[in-house]
Amino acid sequence: MAKRPMPRPELTQPNWTDEQRAEFIRRRRGRNFLLLAALAAFCLMIYGIAIVKLHEYGQMW
Amino acid sequence: MMATNDTAITPHLGAEPGDWLALLKPRVISLVVFTGAIGLFIAPGHINPVLAAVAIFCIALGAGAAGAINMWYDRDIDAMMRRTTDRPIPAGRIEASGALGYGIVLSVISVLLLAMATNLCAAAVLAFSIFYYAVIYTMWLKRRTPQNIVIGGGAGAFPAVIGWAAVTGHIGLLPMLLFAIVFFWTPPHFWSLALYAATDYEKAGIPMLPVVKGAKHTRLNVLVYSLLLLPLTVSPWALGLTGWFYGVSALISGLAFVYFCWGVYADKQDAEGKSLTKDKPARAAFKFSILYLFVLFLACAIDKLV
Repeated sequence: MAKRPMPRPELTQPNWTDEQRAEFIRRRRGRNFLLLAALAAFCLMIYGIAIVKLHEYGQMW
Repeated sequence: MMATNDTAITPHLGAEPGDWLALLKPRVISLVVFTGAIGLFIAPGHINPVLAAVAIFCIALGAGAAGAINMWYDRDIDAMMRRTTDRPIPAGRIEASGALGYGIVLSVISVLLLAMATNLCAAAVLAFSIFYYAVIYTMWLKRRTPQNIVIGGGAGAFPAVIGWAAVTGHIGLLPMLLFAIVFFWTPPHFWSLALYAATDYEKAGIPMLPVVKGAKHTRLNVLVYSLLLLPLTVSPWALGLTGWFYGVSALISGLAFVYFCWGVYADKQDAEGKSLTKDKPARAAFKFSILYLFVLFLACAIDKLV
């Protein structure tokens, strides 16, 4: 049985023009990239803190 | 409600990524980062550069989070003032509840991260500074008293203390004096702005000093606070906590600030104290006040190297 795509109601708003739909997708992509960058930075920061703390307490190297 | 009205006019296409950053008040953050970094730099002792960077990031994040909560609470008055009407919430680009959740989550992250990276003292001061700005200033004082900015000035004075505490684990006399300097600097800084934005504040129902007591009274207060500030800025030198470079810089820049505030006091005005020069001296004093604080903190840092 063919897999049906997830419904995406925001893309089927009947009153939106093509430009508005494209703008909506552009903004959502921007927000997703921002969240991805924030999460990546957060992980890096935790990693950095852990490495420094381990080094400070002499449990590494 | 604003969002609903705006949606009726234009389809709700969602926020730009920049709107979420705008909720953090990036212009305020730049000053907070600067004073926090100076606090870290002048503190005695050593901190790993990675932890120092994380500490500055946490100070910025905490200030931004408090700014987001402030924008959530003030969304009704923001919609009435020209200066703030295009902020993400009154403009309908971000839901108010989303902004509140964002502010709370970032507050918690910033405090926990700072505790993890540095120490509990710094994290506790950061937590209190967020509470001070979001609750004591924004929710309690801002709409109730014309002295809102006097007490609220404390909110912007914490970063130097947090920076110092991040390195030392305690709060010393010098960071307390820096706290007091920012505390006493805030009223003349903000009242200079309020003098030429009084109409906006009046429209929004915020009891800023020029709205409640009039422009004449505000001009006098700007001058008095600048005079109080001058000896306070020189006190770290007088007490031997900093060297001559800071002392001379504080004295010269302080005298210049008093001169600008005298200009505000002596501005050509009508019987009620309203400016006849489109508040040129107040605008100049507001701009100079930012430079003044920058010079004071920078001199404090340079002084450590001299």
